Parts: sequence; structure tokens; C-alpha cells
Amino acid sequence: MKDSRIILSVVLIVGILVVINFISDQLYYRLDLTEDKRYTLSEATKDILKDIEEPVTVKAFFSENLPPDIAKTRRDLQEMLVEYSSLSDGMLVFEFINPSENEELENQAIKAGIQPVMINVREKDQVKQQKAYLGVLIEMGEEKEIIPFMQPGLAMEYSLSTSIKKLSVIDKPVIGLVSGHGEASIAELQQLNAQLSILYQLKEVDISTDSDLSTYKTLTLIRPKDTIPAGELAILDAFLAQGGNLVIALNRVEADMQQSFGKIMSTGLESWLSQKGLNIPSSFLVDPNSGAVSVQQQQGIFVYNTQIQFPYLPIAQNFRDHPVTKGLEQVIFPFASPLNYEGDSSIKWTPLVYSSDKSGTQTAPTYFNIQKQWTEADYPLGKQVIGALLEGKISGTANSRLIVFGDGDFAVTGEGQGAQRMQADNISLMANSIDFLSDDTGLIELRTKGVTSRPLVDLEDGTKTTLKFLNFLLPIILVVIYGIARMQVKRNVRIKRMEENYGN
Amino acid sequence: MNAIWIISKRELQSFFDSLIAYIMLVAFLGFSGFFTWLYGQDIFLIGQTSLRGFFSIAYWTLFFFIPALTMRLLAEEKKTGTIELLLTKAVSDREVVLGKFLATLLLICIALVFTFPYVITLSNIGNLDLGATICGYLGLVMMSITYIGIGIYASSITNNQIVAFLLALFIGLFFHIIFDVLAPNFTGWLGEIFVFMSLSTHFESISRGVLDTKDIIYFLSLGAVGILLAELSLAKRNLNS
Repeated sequence: MKDSRIILSVVLIVGILVVINFISDQLYYRLDLTEDKRYTLSEATKDILKDIEEPVTVKAFFSENLPPDIAKTRRDLQEMLVEYSSLSDGMLVFEFINPSENEELENQAIKAGIQPVMINVREKDQVKQQKAYLGVLIEMGEEKEIIPFMQPGLAMEYSLSTSIKKLSVIDKPVIGLVSGHGEASIAELQQLNAQLSILYQLKEVDISTDSDLSTYKTLTLIRPKDTIPAGELAILDAFLAQGGNLVIALNRVEADMQQSFGKIMSTGLESWLSQKGLNIPSSFLVDPNSGAVSVQQQQGIFVYNTQIQFPYLPIAQNFRDHPVTKGLEQVIFPFASPLNYEGDSSIKWTPLVYSSDKSGTQTAPTYFNIQKQWTEADYPLGKQVIGALLEGKISGTANSRLIVFGDGDFAVTGEGQGAQRMQADNISLMANSIDFLSDDTGLIELRTKGVTSRPLVDLEDGTKTTLKFLNFLLPIILVVIYGIARMQVKRNVRIKRMEENYGN
Repeated sequence: MNAIWIISKRELQSFFDSLIAYIMLVAFLGFSGFFTWLYGQDIFLIGQTSLRGFFSIAYWTLFFFIPALTMRLLAEEKKTGTIELLLTKAVSDREVVLGKFLATLLLICIALVFTFPYVITLSNIGNLDLGATICGYLGLVMMSITYIGIGIYASSITNNQIVAFLLALFIGLFFHIIFDVLAPNFTGWLGEIFVFMSLSTHFESISRGVLDTKDIIYFLSLGAVGILLAELSLAKRNLNS
């Protein structure tokens, strides 16, 4: 009798626990304890949602009956959309559509521009391929945006928020890419264009013929190669004098890797900048924290490629805490030159990006010695400025802003055969600069969300070894010491008890 | 409550009076320390100020060590007959089980406290995300609650410690990997249930730095089921004899 009652109560309690778990799966509370709140919707998303003026409809074309890892993406998206909806004060509504249900819905998905993906599903002891839809259609009025394939994880928020932002920006401000002096074209800046086209329209502009520069929110001069005539520099001055903003990324030195030779490059921009107090010496910035080059080496009959650290490709990890550099981790600047500001205090000088604490320079022209053994003596200088912001009366009496980088290539991807993918942070730095100057910092935070790296500080090899063994051995030694001490105490107690007059 | 505390204090002392506690602590710290600092994907190789590596190692070491700690809790007392002595005192079955459960949990917590030098070192040589680290430790404690529950149940149904150890490992294995491996092979609700049952899903969720009531309720429920079943099997024994 009692036996069955116990079993009954256990079954009852287990049942209650199952129900509690079931409910908690639907109704839950989440607390994001990470320092950068990376699993919480960012301020940028909140701002975007608050600013929605027209109703937004999100149609998620997601197949059902999928393996759990993909089903999780669906759930995550659903949870995220619930939050989006509540943050938008009901301006955002969403629905989930299962295109695998019938042909009509499938056609609807394909018509919207969402293509199926093939996934492996195990059924009746056989692995078979199944069509699945994992896309999202976002509509606002007549405008549409699609996310053909929803990436799981942190990228979800970025794709959703930028798509909504894209729809809600009606007149996209124009960003002018100054051209005509060998500057990087839009085609050579594909990655940057992809980032910026969410908010802006990029347009190449020939300042010698385009008389009305006031239509441009910001002008950029990325990697000019040829001389810029004094007349055009005067036009830039006039643009700044009207309160315009300018981003300049210029090469003061140039490398010819075939000849292993580095030479000076002059476009006239350097003397124009120097009149404003900003000097860019014609020297290569060298940094022990650098990218590597692949070098062919021959040993006997074998030829093999080895990666050799090449200090002429500094990797910047030192950033000022500033909207432009928010969330950035590392940016590589191939063949850069340092920036030195010697102007007066009428212009506010804010360095944004630095090289590492031990850096050096090498005056051009110079030959590169790939095999050179670099020593501390090659890096006699402290950290050098690679990118900076100048604010104030740069030209004329109006306040304007100018961001300068001592390297022209860091955001250039190239075109055609020579195109290469750049690190996301390289592109983000340029995109953030343009965002900042164009007074739209909304996407800066989202762009770099979730990529936080927390590098260890540079330590000497000896310190590393000490720390390794200290952490490995110290806890164990502490345990052993405690054990021995405890044993001693016990023994003393025992000896005391054995003494004749114990207890008297 | 007082009885539970007395039993757990007594049990914890017996851990430290025998060699078990020391062997467990030294082995746990040795394994964890070795793979966190010296070998494999160690901290200096990854170069990141994060204890994620340690947490995933401890996730495995604790999986093996907890059954070794729990195997003797009830099995030994049953074998030597001391359980009868204990149960004839004015303590309930539940108090005995809870006391022993608490003692084991405390020992695991002590083991984790000994890894605090890792935290101190890392926060000195980089920018450690304290919130995420606390969640990582909490994840380990939560996981321990589940496995101690399983272990104490395994120990309650046999007189043989080895059997208790293997049984706890066997049951644990389902939650540790088997459900996780099975899940991708099923679609729909069955797959969802397997994912939900898999401990690694919940552990990963908590150790990335997010406290979710879902995960906490999962760990506590499994622990509670273990304790209840252990209590049931003690009670049954009383009835039979």
C-alpha cells in the first residue's frame, strides 16, 4: 500500500516537472550577462524599429519538419521577430509560411525571389535530399527586400535590421567618390559599396566638371595615383569651407613587389594636407605586429612556399574609443605611412587608429629585404597614428570634418581577376568613417556586433611559461598542502588523545 | 534542514578524510589545467582572453568524475549496513539523500574554486568578460546538479560501487552525447525532444553567457528526478526488509 503511494507521488512529481519544463520552453526569461550584450538586440536595431513610420510586414518562408539544427534557426528567428514586433510598437507584423505545404505557397516563395536549398534528411534509414526554404521577405508599402537564406546566429539581427533600414530610408544621401586621378572606382570597392548601399548612394564624381558639390553629404578620395591639379584642390577647399566632410585615404609610398622596391608617391594632396598642419612623411611604417607574405624557397630540389612576417603590412589593433572604430578588432594597412599633426589648436585633432606600441619607419625609396632579421632596434618609435579625424575650421570659416588614413589600399578590393576579399574590419573602418561624417551612426554598432575578440596582451615567452605552469601547478599544490595540513592536525589530535591524561 | 546540513558536513569530511577528495581534486585540476594551459588548444595558442576552453574541458572531466564521487554515497552504506543505522536515526530518507547530494555538490564547488587562479590570471593579461565567465561556472555547477542526481540514483539501487559507477556513466552518456547525436537524424517533434533532452544544448546556451530560465529549470528538474528516485529506492528497501 505504502509502496504504491510512493510510486504514485514520484510519478506525479516527475509529471509536474515535465509540465514545468514544457511551459518553461514557451515562457522563459533570458538575462544576457555578456559584457557587450551580444545576445541582446542592439541599440541600433531599437532605433531603427522606433523610427519605422509605415507598417512593415515580414514573411518568413520557412519549411517545417526540418532537422533540429535548422529548426533552431527557425525558432531563433521567431523569437527575434517577436522582440522586433514588440519594439516597433506593432508597426512590424510577421508571419511564418511553410512553402513545402502546397504548391501555391511554394510559388509564392519563388516569386518573392526565395530559392530552395537542399538539405540532408534521414528518413527510414536512408539519407535523402530534401528541398527547404529558409528565406525572408520584408515589405514596406510598395518596397520589398529579401533575405534569400537566413544565416543562423548573430548574423540574423544584422540582416533583418539592415533590410528594414534599407526600406525605411527614402531619399538615400549621395556619397561622392572623387575620381579622375586614378582613385579606386566603385567596381574596385565592391565590399564597401555593399555595406554603404544600405543607406547611401555611391557616385563617382569628377570635381573639375561637377560644379555643385553641395549635393554630396560626404566626399571621399580613396587611393589617388595621379597628380591632383591645384585648381581641384581649391575646389576641395571650397567644399570644406561650406561645411562639407571629406575622407582621404592616400598612399604616400608605393611598393613594387616584383622589384622588391618601395618608392615615394606624390599627388599634391600631401602638400595640401601639410598646409593644414598634417604631415605625412614619405616613409614606410613598420610594425612587428604585421601580416605575412608568401615566399618561395628552394632547398635542394624542393621548392616550397613559406609565410614570412612582413612588417611593411602593419596590423592595427589599437583603436581610440570612438564611433568610427567601435567594435573593430584589427585592420591591416598594407604599406602605410604615419600621420603627424603639427597644426595649431584651431583644428581638433583626434587620432583614431594606431600602430602597435613599438613601431618604426623606413624612409622611401628603399629596397625590401624579405629575409631581414628584424630586431627591437628596427622599432625605435612608440605607437604611430595611421588614421585620424580633424574637426574645426579646416578651410574657411565653417566647421567641417576630415578623416585621413595614411594608407590608400586598406578598403580597396580590386576588380576582375585581381579582386580579393578584404577582412570585414577593413571595410567596416571605411564604412564607419563615412557613416560618422554623414551623421548616420545607426549601423556602426550593428556592423561589428558579435565579432568581439579579446586578445591577450603581448607577453614575453618567459612570462608565458611561468603563467602556464603557475596556473597548472598552483591549484594542485594548494590541494596537496591542504591535505597534508589536515593530516597533521588529525595526527596531533590523535596523539593528544593517546596521551595518558587526555580528558582529565 | 538542520539534519541535511549535518549529514552533508559529515559526508564532506569523510571525502576529505579518505583519499577520494584529494584524488578527485588533483585529477580534475590536473586534467583541466593541462588542457587549458599546456597542451592542445591552450589559452596562449588561441590567444583569446576567454575561459571557454576550460569550460568545455571541465564539461568532460566532470562527466567522468561525478559518478566516481557518487558511486559510494549510498551503495557503500548499503553494503556495510550502515545505512540501517543512519535511517534508524531521526532523519528521513530524503534528508539522507539530500545531505549526500549537497556534500558532493559542495566538493565540486570546491574543485571549481581552485580554478579561480585561471580567472585572476586571465583578467590580468587581457580583458576578461566577467559576466560570461560567471555563466560558464554556473553552467558547470548546474550540470553537476544533474549528474549528481543521476549518480546518487545509480548508487541507491545497487550495493556494488563499480556497478553504481558504470550505471551512472551509462545514464549520463545519454544526456551527454547520445541524445545530441540522435537529434539530427529526426525531424519534427522527436528531433526537438532529443535536442531538449540533450544536456550539451543547455550547457552551451548557458556557458556562452546567457542565463535562461529554460536551461536552469532543465538542470534542476533532472537533478530533482534523480534525488526523488534515489529516495524512492531507499524507501522501497525499508519496506522490503
